[in-house]
Amino acid sequence: MSKLRETLEAGDFAVAVELKPPRGTEVGGMLAPVTALRERVTAFGLPDNAQACLHLSSLAAARLVKEAGGEPLLHLSCRDRNRLALESDLLGAAALGVENLLLVSGDYVTLGDHPQAKPVYDADSVQLLQIAQGLRAGQDSTGQPLSGNPAFYLGAVVIPEADPLAPQLLKMEKKIAAGAQFLVTAPVFHLERLRSFREHLTDPAIKLLVTVKVLEADELSQAMAGGWRKVYSLPQELLQELAGQEPAALESEAVRVAGRLVRQIKEERLGDGVYLQARGREDLLAAILKQAEL
Amino acid sequence: MIIAERKPFAEIKAMVAPYKKILIVGCGTCVAVCLAGGEKEVGLLASQLKLALGLEDKHLEIGEITVERQCDLEFLRPLCDFVTDYEAIVSLACGAGVQFLKELCYMKPIFPGVNTTFIGVNNDAGYYTERCRACHHCYLGLTGGVCPVTMCPKRLLNGPCGGMVGGRCEVDPEKDCAWCQIYHNLEREGRLEILRQILPMHPHDRTTTPGTVIHPGYKRRYGVHE
Repeated sequence: MSKLRETLEAGDFAVAVELKPPRGTEVGGMLAPVTALRERVTAFGLPDNAQACLHLSSLAAARLVKEAGGEPLLHLSCRDRNRLALESDLLGAAALGVENLLLVSGDYVTLGDHPQAKPVYDADSVQLLQIAQGLRAGQDSTGQPLSGNPAFYLGAVVIPEADPLAPQLLKMEKKIAAGAQFLVTAPVFHLERLRSFREHLTDPAIKLLVTVKVLEADELSQAMAGGWRKVYSLPQELLQELAGQEPAALESEAVRVAGRLVRQIKEERLGDGVYLQARGREDLLAAILKQAEL
Repeated sequence: MIIAERKPFAEIKAMVAPYKKILIVGCGTCVAVCLAGGEKEVGLLASQLKLALGLEDKHLEIGEITVERQCDLEFLRPLCDFVTDYEAIVSLACGAGVQFLKELCYMKPIFPGVNTTFIGVNNDAGYYTERCRACHHCYLGLTGGVCPVTMCPKRLLNGPCGGMVGGRCEVDPEKDCAWCQIYHNLEREGRLEILRQILPMHPHDRTTTPGTVIHPGYKRRYGVHE
C-alpha cells in the first residue's frame, strides 16, 4: 500500500508537494526537493505536461522520484494519449512501482506551447478512472484479462469554487462512482468557500487534498486590476493584506500566506491533507512547510 | 450545412500559375450560402485572377461555371464535356465536391479554392458556427440538444472540465461552456437524472475513414448483406 493511501486511510494529515519535471533532461533541480523533504512529505506530485507545455515525461519523473527515495503521485492526462496509450502507461506505472495516480482531462493544447498539436481526449477523466479501476480488477477497457493486477490509489481533481457549481458536483459524483478514492482540489485561498464545498463531500471514505498554491506576483496584480479569470478566488482580506507590497517582499509574503493556509487547513481539518504547488519555485517549499510547522 | 472559407488569393494564384486556361467551378448549395464558393464567388475569383495577372503582363483564360451541387453526379455529369477545353480546374466546392469532380475529370489537375471548415449553421448574414462533427454516434438525446463532441473542445462526455469559469469555456472565454448548457437544458426539461449515468468512451471504430452509408432500402441494389 502506498504511503499516501496509508496516511490518508489512517486519518493522518498528508503533505503532497508538486514538483516540476524539467523542459529538458536536467533532472537535478526537479529532484532536489525530494532529497531535502522526503522525510516530511508524503508524496511528490508529477504533472503531465502541465498547462499543455512540454516537460519531461511524468512517468519517467515518477520513477526518478522513487529512486531518489520519494513517493510519487503521478498525474496522467487524457489530452495526449488515446485509450491504448493510457492503459499502456498505467500498466507501465504499476510495473515501475507507481501506485498513486491523479487522473485528469488536461489543459487544452491551444493554451500551451504546442498549440498546433492534435488534442486527443479519447477518454475523459471519468472514463480514465473507470479504465484504471478496470485494470486494478484485472481487465483492460475492452474487458480482456491482464496478467497481474496493478495496485493503484486513484485520485481525481475537483473545483471547489466552480461557477456554476452544480455541473462540477455532478462530475465529482461521477468520478467517485468511477473509482476515485481521493480528490485534489484546485488552488484554494478562500477557506470559507472550501468549508461550504466540503458540505457536498458526504462520503468519509473519499479523502480530500487541498491545493495550496504559492501566490505569484502576476496573479496578485491581475486580482488587484480586476481582470481575474481563474477557477479559484483571492479573498478581499488577502488582497488588502498584500496591497502595496514591493515585488521583492511578495515572495516572503507568499510563503507566509501559503504556510498559514496549510496550518489552518490542518488545524481546522478542512482537508485530509494538502497539495502544495509552487509552480517553478520549489525552493520555497521547505520554508512553507516550516511556516506551517510541518 | 457545410461551411467553407475561400483560400487566400495568393495561394490560389500560385496553384494556377503554370496554366494558360483554367475553369473555375462553383457549387450552388452550402458554399454558396456561406458566401465562399457560389456563382458570385466564382466571378469574383475570376476577376481577381485576371486583374492580378494583367498587372504582371500575363494572360490567363478563365471559364466560369456553377453547378447546383458538386457532391451529386446528376449535376456533375454535364460538366464532363465542358472541362475538356481547359488545362486545369479550380473547384470552389467543399472537399467532397472537389474529390467527386476529380473522379469524373480524372485527366485534369484540380485545385481547391476553399478550405472546408465544418458542419454548421447560418446564424445571420456572414456568421456561421459549428454544430456537428459527424461522429457516427449522436448523443443529443442524452445531452439536452447540445453536442458535447462538437461544442466542448475536449469532447468530454461526462461533464465540464476544471477550466470552466463563470459558465464560460476554458479554451475560448467568449463561448459558453457546453456542459453548463447541457446541464441547464436538462434541468429545464426536468431530466437531470440522465446525467448521472457515465457515458462510455466514444466508439471510434465507426469513425474510420472513409465512411460509407447505404440506405437499408438500397442494400440489395449495392450487393450489401444485412
